[in-house]
Amino acid sequence: MNLAATGLGVAGTLGVVSALAGLVVPRGARAAVVGTGTALTGAAGVPAGVAALAGQSFSVTWPGLLPLSGVAFGLDTLGGLFVAVTGGVAIAAGIYGIGYARHGLQARATQAVFPLFVVAMLLVPASASVGTFAVCWELMAATSLLLVLAEHRRRPEVASAGRWYAVMTHLGFVTVLIGLVVFAAHAGGDSFAALRSAHLSGATAAAVFVLTLAGFASKAGILPLHAWLPRAHPEAPSHVSALMSAAMVNLGVYGIVRVGFDLLHGGPRWWWLLVLALGAASAVYGILQAAINNDLKRLLGYSTTENLGLVLVGVGAAGLFAASGQRVLAGVALAAALLHVVNHAAFKTLLFLAAGSVLHGTGTRDLDHLGGLRRSMPVTTGLFGLGALAASALPPGTAFVSEWLLLQALIHGLPAAGVATAVAMPLAVAAVALTAGLAVATFVKAFGVGFLAKPRGTGAAQAHESPPSMLAGMGLAAVACGVLAVLPATVLPGVAAASGFGDPTTGEAVTLRLADVAGTLSPLVLVLALVAGAVITLALVRGLLARRARREARLWDCGAGPMSARMEYTATSFAEPVQRVFDDVVRPETDVDVDHHDESRYLVQAVAYRRRVPDRVERRLYEPVLAAARAWGSAGRSLANGSVHRYLGYGFYTVCGVLILLAVTR
Amino acid sequence: MNVQLLDLACGALLLTAVLILWRRELAVIIRVFALQGVALAALVAVLAAGEGAPELWGVAAGILVLRAGVLPWLLRRALARGGAAARETRPLVNVAASLLTAAVLTLLAYAVSPPLVALAPSPATQAIPVGMTVVLIGFFVLVTRRRALSQLVGFLLLDNGITAVGFLTTTSVGLLVEAGISLDVLLAVLVLQILTTRIRETFGDTDLDELRELHD
Amino acid sequence: MSALGVVGGVVQPLLVVAGSPLLIGVLRQVRAKLEGRAGPGVLQPWRDLRKLLLHKESVTPRGTSEVFRYAPLVLMATTLVVAVVVPFVTTASAVDPVADLFAVVALLALGAVALALAGLDTGTAFGGMGASRETTILALVEPTLLVAIFALSVRVGSTNLAAIISSTLDDPARVISPVSLLAAVALIVVIIAETGRLPVDNPATHLELTMVHEAMVLEYAGPDLALVELASAMRLSVFLGLLANLFLPWGIATTATPLALLIGVAALVVKVGLLGAALAAGEVFLAKMRLFRVPELLAGSFLLALLAVAASFFLA
Repeated sequence: MNLAATGLGVAGTLGVVSALAGLVVPRGARAAVVGTGTALTGAAGVPAGVAALAGQSFSVTWPGLLPLSGVAFGLDTLGGLFVAVTGGVAIAAGIYGIGYARHGLQARATQAVFPLFVVAMLLVPASASVGTFAVCWELMAATSLLLVLAEHRRRPEVASAGRWYAVMTHLGFVTVLIGLVVFAAHAGGDSFAALRSAHLSGATAAAVFVLTLAGFASKAGILPLHAWLPRAHPEAPSHVSALMSAAMVNLGVYGIVRVGFDLLHGGPRWWWLLVLALGAASAVYGILQAAINNDLKRLLGYSTTENLGLVLVGVGAAGLFAASGQRVLAGVALAAALLHVVNHAAFKTLLFLAAGSVLHGTGTRDLDHLGGLRRSMPVTTGLFGLGALAASALPPGTAFVSEWLLLQALIHGLPAAGVATAVAMPLAVAAVALTAGLAVATFVKAFGVGFLAKPRGTGAAQAHESPPSMLAGMGLAAVACGVLAVLPATVLPGVAAASGFGDPTTGEAVTLRLADVAGTLSPLVLVLALVAGAVITLALVRGLLARRARREARLWDCGAGPMSARMEYTATSFAEPVQRVFDDVVRPETDVDVDHHDESRYLVQAVAYRRRVPDRVERRLYEPVLAAARAWGSAGRSLANGSVHRYLGYGFYTVCGVLILLAVTR
Repeated sequence: MNVQLLDLACGALLLTAVLILWRRELAVIIRVFALQGVALAALVAVLAAGEGAPELWGVAAGILVLRAGVLPWLLRRALARGGAAARETRPLVNVAASLLTAAVLTLLAYAVSPPLVALAPSPATQAIPVGMTVVLIGFFVLVTRRRALSQLVGFLLLDNGITAVGFLTTTSVGLLVEAGISLDVLLAVLVLQILTTRIRETFGDTDLDELRELHD
Repeated sequence: MSALGVVGGVVQPLLVVAGSPLLIGVLRQVRAKLEGRAGPGVLQPWRDLRKLLLHKESVTPRGTSEVFRYAPLVLMATTLVVAVVVPFVTTASAVDPVADLFAVVALLALGAVALALAGLDTGTAFGGMGASRETTILALVEPTLLVAIFALSVRVGSTNLAAIISSTLDDPARVISPVSLLAAVALIVVIIAETGRLPVDNPATHLELTMVHEAMVLEYAGPDLALVELASAMRLSVFLGLLANLFLPWGIATTATPLALLIGVAALVVKVGLLGAALAAGEVFLAKMRLFRVPELLAGSFLLALLAVAASFFLA
């Protein structure tokens, strides 16, 4: 038994024990026990994943445990990365849950399911056969669904979100299952080892890839199968949102990389162009919706779609390079994609937990009613600011490093490639750039409107800081963000090992220097230079030049009396220019009602402005399908009149029909 | 040096096509179109210098006279008679979107050109995608503009592109062929000009979408 | 870290800090002369800065936080770092691992973001409006900027600034290629948008409905305002210097001899001065564009940048 196997075993045991504890421990201590248990589960998962990344792979099979195929687990470098990431997120979410779940989330079922969800997510990347994978995947889907529904008594929207999630996640599961079963049937065995050594015809391989891609992409929240994500993530409890958004969606990427690169050994160019196009479209569309949205958690949900889109841009580019024989660049691109998975996990955990803290302290997620939280919630404000910096791809932030790596891969891909690549690369760069720019606008809005200036509503005015356990959970994620931002070289070897293409850098501790293509960046030196610049400026200005003391004064109000919170810019008004520029893409619905005074229609009493931004992809794609389903349903209603005899009769007729068919065709 | 000049001429060709798509004022569009005529003539002149073929110099001069002189003059006259409608006010696709479409069209042109380039790789044929782009942009202008005059410019842009592709693929298209094409274009422009004048006299405006009503 | 790089790292920030207000002075003076006014003289921005720094106090409006107080510092720090790392005077960079075009662009964006957050922090409608417009323009500029960088770096095979500039020095014929010309035009539009010049923003206006940059910094006073003004001037000269050296790098010092350095400094001053004067002269003939026509301008420049990439690949 090596460390990977032991760690995973311990994590599984701890998770199940915590789940049982959630069922039996009295209500008062339940959140603390389960939270600690979950954090320990994650803490056991991290070394398992790291050990696997360091080369300690293992595999076990228990043939009799499941009918037909048995159970097979195994951990290699690729799986190890995702196990480590999931474990890390679980630690932060578990600790945070101790304080967060104390308010209305101590129901037995919710508490028991939470650690099981973590265990399921740890087991998915450790599954080594189709059967095991399907069982773990389904366990993950079911537990997450129960957690999404945790607050369904309090808010009616939760039920609707749960329905969307249930339907889409299971449709995704069905396509993945069909794809893998077809694969296994052609390979003549259901273990991943058998699949790896199988030789599929081009058409079969393509069918397998497209089917699994559809399912995995829907799990990763990729366009056009993203509709569940901006619904389910905001409605779930915040530590669950963090787990879903930072750990669960990654497993969609895991699936695509596992099937595409590992099991099918790459494929023709069009597969990867498809992945690239889906990724670029999701990135731009996701961040555009995030830039316009006012619901803090929904905004973060759309940002998940964006970041996973960026990851798929990297995965698609890697596949494209590998298909044209440029393994060095493929390594850079895939390392960039997987590094972004890690980075996204870190900052999205932090952001969702901080959003939960805001919800906990103010009772609202609507940015238009927030503001001024820096006084009442200073720690949360600081941590959210750090997360926003990390998410917006600006220099001392986390996402900047992985996006830099991604852009390096895209830029070096041009000269040596064919026409398809030459056309795809500039467009991909443009998409990544637009995404980065809009991400800046989004997070300036989220942080500037949500936390700075004056409170815009009573909830924000009466906000209070969160308990220490929640702050500790967030602090942990913030430390991870900081380390990843300043010293990415600490994780890059592991990420590169997971990619299977080898380390693209020369392996220096401080500087990222790409090994076989030109490209150098040192985030640590950059931060130091910034600090030095700030210190020198401060010393010169405060020390030598400006001798007069700072004084406080009223805001400039044009002499009209003190400014009130009603005069501030809101999130809606902040996003208005972006919304207008992208009018043709998002098609917002606005209406303005003007009430006039009774005396004269020239005197305006009140102006009401309402704006709704429906998800356009949803409207164009889903509504026709739903309408068709409804039409079928009502057409079929005459068949079901409530008589039990009739239903039994249908069964009987069908059995007879099948028998007759057999008799005739034999 | 020859290659550099060729590339510069191609760049100018492309830039003028983009500007025609970008600007709204018809007078500016016509001026830019005249500039494109100059760029096209320069392109042919560079090819002529490379080949050392005297008849190509003649073609270049002809192109200069026709496309930078006669055609813009005709267009300006049509514009002057048109009176008020001096701007392309409401194109079917807004300007920002049409610029982005042009970006995609460029990449499309580059994506489909390699077989043509591969026939006889040389600096001249390398530039075929530029001509293709101008063709596609011209077609796009033709499809999305409302004013008859700007549609006419789109048509002429298309023709400039075709000419450019022709000269870049086979440098010696021949004086006769070019003369024939140019005459055709001139004739087409004259006919269209008469037509637009008639339309205006009859219906008062040249928003071509309104012609749909004639159908009833 | 070479000796040449160290010398550049010391000379460049000093030159940029000292010269940027003068550049603004030149711009205003050129404009004044062309409009038939006498103009306040080239030194006026420095006089303003002296007044703000030495004789005025910083004012903290009630209800603002540390974000408002430290934003000028962040803005200044980012601009200073850029002034140090970009090869303006010498071909070697003082801090080579940061002299990456993407990093430089992102650093400049960071400064703009700090100012936008400060605008939001004041809680006034002006601050919010300026921040909202600034970030929107920032977001729309990004694709053009990165695609233009793409066009420039493809033929060099690197986004390192020193590498790009050295390669242009080695092969001067590249400068008149369509790739360079198209990318240059695209970058000029980007610079106009990023530094808030006409026709995107009017640096001289205080009319609420039209302003972008001025709206964000309305609440600053004294040394804080001096920092913001100086940093904005430095941003302009840094952008113009970048433009000059990416396309016309001649004169830049390749050795650490005093003569070479002197020529490097003089060349930079002349190039940036000429570019600035041309910018000012151009502005005389332009009116400010409506905010919602700016995307058209940026879409056009994006198209040019994309054409530059296409040209770099196919017209090789």
